[in-house]
Amino acid sequence: MEKTKNVIIIIEFVFVLIVMLVANIVKLDDAVSVTERRKLAQFPAFTKNSVFSGKFASDFDKYAVDQFVRRDSFKEIKYWFSMNIFNQKDSNKMFVKDGSIYKLEYPLNENAVKKSAEKLQTVQEKYLKNANVYYSIIPDKTYYLDDNYLKMDYEKIEEIMAEKLQDTKYIDIKNILTKDDFYNTDLHWKQENIIKVVNILNTNMGIVSQTNYEEKIAGEFYGTYYGQVGAKVNADTIKYLTNSNIENAITYNYETNQYSKVYDLEKFETSSDKYDIYLSGATPLITIENQNANTDKELLIFRDSFGSSIAPLLLENYKKVTLIDLRYMNGQLLESYIEFSNQDVLMLYSGTVLNQNILK
Amino acid sequence: MVFSSITFIFYFLPIVLAIYYMVPKKMQNLILLVASLLFYFYGEPKYVILMVFEIIVAYLFGRLIDKKHKKIFLIIPIAIIVGLLVYFKYIDFLIQNVNVIFEKDIDLVKVILPIGISFYTFQIISYIVDVYRGEVKVQKNILNLATYVALFPQLIAGPIVRYKTIDAQLDNRKHSIENVSIGIRRFVIGLGKKVLIANVLGELVNVFLASNERSVLFYWLYAFANMMQIYFDFSGYSDMAIGLVKMFGFEFPENFNYPYISSSITEFWRRWHISLGTWFRDYIYIPLGGNRVSKIKHLRNILIVWLLTGLWHGAAWNFIIWGLYFGILLILEKEFILKKVDKIPKIIRILATFFIVMISFIIFSGESKIEIFENIKGLFGIGGISLTSLESIYYLKSYAVVLIISLIGATPLMKNVFKDKKVSNFLEPVFILFVLIISTSYIIDGSFNPFLYFRF
Repeated sequence: MEKTKNVIIIIEFVFVLIVMLVANIVKLDDAVSVTERRKLAQFPAFTKNSVFSGKFASDFDKYAVDQFVRRDSFKEIKYWFSMNIFNQKDSNKMFVKDGSIYKLEYPLNENAVKKSAEKLQTVQEKYLKNANVYYSIIPDKTYYLDDNYLKMDYEKIEEIMAEKLQDTKYIDIKNILTKDDFYNTDLHWKQENIIKVVNILNTNMGIVSQTNYEEKIAGEFYGTYYGQVGAKVNADTIKYLTNSNIENAITYNYETNQYSKVYDLEKFETSSDKYDIYLSGATPLITIENQNANTDKELLIFRDSFGSSIAPLLLENYKKVTLIDLRYMNGQLLESYIEFSNQDVLMLYSGTVLNQNILK
Repeated sequence: MVFSSITFIFYFLPIVLAIYYMVPKKMQNLILLVASLLFYFYGEPKYVILMVFEIIVAYLFGRLIDKKHKKIFLIIPIAIIVGLLVYFKYIDFLIQNVNVIFEKDIDLVKVILPIGISFYTFQIISYIVDVYRGEVKVQKNILNLATYVALFPQLIAGPIVRYKTIDAQLDNRKHSIENVSIGIRRFVIGLGKKVLIANVLGELVNVFLASNERSVLFYWLYAFANMMQIYFDFSGYSDMAIGLVKMFGFEFPENFNYPYISSSITEFWRRWHISLGTWFRDYIYIPLGGNRVSKIKHLRNILIVWLLTGLWHGAAWNFIIWGLYFGILLILEKEFILKKVDKIPKIIRILATFFIVMISFIIFSGESKIEIFENIKGLFGIGGISLTSLESIYYLKSYAVVLIISLIGATPLMKNVFKDKKVSNFLEPVFILFVLIISTSYIIDGSFNPFLYFRF
């Protein structure tokens, strides 16, 4: 029996090693990981320099991991093991609860929030002294879980923001959202669920508005969280709200110098991130012109990616909405592009972005 | 190259094993040597020259000692090899301290520490000294000597194998199905200890270090996870090394023997990093006179050995303090404590030893004096910190199973499960395959996978 056991152990070990070795050699390398939305490491250049500097070795290690055969299945095994056998509450900060993927955004980095708030304060003091400035904070999904999960202290974020952004008005939207207002596979909110947020913003900004939208379905959507967790979760559906004002509106992207429509259905088909349907995705500066507007009012939105899906719904009462993403452009450069007059100003940021000190 | 990597497990190892078992027996050492040099070259392309140089020095002076038994032929190679170790490992630490003590401003050399230098330096010294002492025959085949020094399973993280242990095995060793099977089991268990326990607990340690919300419970979680991470990392690496050499027919002595069940510090050091302890005993402590000298000199010898043991682990003050902490405790045990504690129940002694060792690893892992004091004070709630916090309770729940497994794994309990032949014949092959697959999945997922020996 002992001998049989020894033989079995050798066979299984050698089998796994040889099969994997051969499979990894035979398998064609992938250029990108669709689920993880990133380029995968390729076989490194084998040169005298790369070998003797150790770069070949470190690059090969990355290549070996990135191109490992059935990589996604192994990630699923890891997730299953850590959650079910080790009974961990998260795996690399990710976890699935009730069919929805969450990412721990804990802990709060007070320093980073202060820095983010200071950046906004600088913009406010430089350009917006006489403007009506409003700001709001979008909690991440974990905020809506029970207390068994770690979440950022949003009261503390509000406190820091209030300290820095004086002479502005805070619009609290935390409590009108629920976890169902966010996608299951992504960090963002669903456009079709945030009319209530638009209403609260409008009310606080002194706008009386009742707008009707038609809800359209763009298609299936696996968000950024999907590739970060080794678990199968049902796809989300991207829907978008539209009406004649939005249909006729024209966007201008300062980065690409291109005019486009509010909803970029072509990008939805071609982009790896389907959320790019809203205003064609991340960009430093974009304007939306409302061709049907019966007002001259303008709105400036300092925003992150959450702004892309809510901006079309704020368009109704403005002639022009300008979206500025301070993650991609320096606040000091704004005057070269924007003429500051007496626009309404909304600073709308997610807690996740404020917690990272990535505003320029 | 580290063992717990895809490159090693799924490229290097199968290729080396296949070639090794395909070539004629007389070429096997050469294959091992070439593989070992490639293994080292992969991670340290430049420093492979340094290792080869030290091997040549050891070889030449070994031959000289064999021809003329003169002390100078012992002193010169040791001076060269220790000198190189001091230069590469301690020079900047020395300069920093000279600058502080004498208020100088000497520039640091900023030399990069060659991986594994502390391990192979000690192996080479053991060879030269043993040849000089006449305990082993000189190795006339430089390839065999080079294979001993560079043997990849023990090259970068030990165990420190004395030349006389494998002298005979270099020429004649037993390859058998049983040995290969035991080797595989040992390797996979070591891999699991490193990847599934040490690395996972390392994540918890990192979460603690990054936290601003430390409670008494969190300090305890850190202290416990930290000592378990170090044990499972070190002993996992030793298991992998012992398993790997076994696949190639070698027998290495054990390096860890359930140190956390020790009932005294003296016992702990008989069970922890055994190859390092015996090296210091045979090449430092006994040559200094050991305990066969006056009491003062005996105490001096103990303190020197532990000062050096601390320094061996890294060129920083926390390692020196860590070594001396044990030196002083061992003196206290020898002189006073061990004579009086017989009546204390063993479980109390084990717990006390466990606690003392836990504190030692807080010192070992501390980046600064302040951090070390904070982390020790925190265990006792000094400074008005709360008992628990949401964060510590979350991580306690999240890591409870791993912490419990680590505690069980640090005792001989699991070994006893596999003692029953009926159980082991069925369970072991399944268990080994399971651990291999799960460990691979953890490595592929890009989980935390540090190399703790970069300072050794």
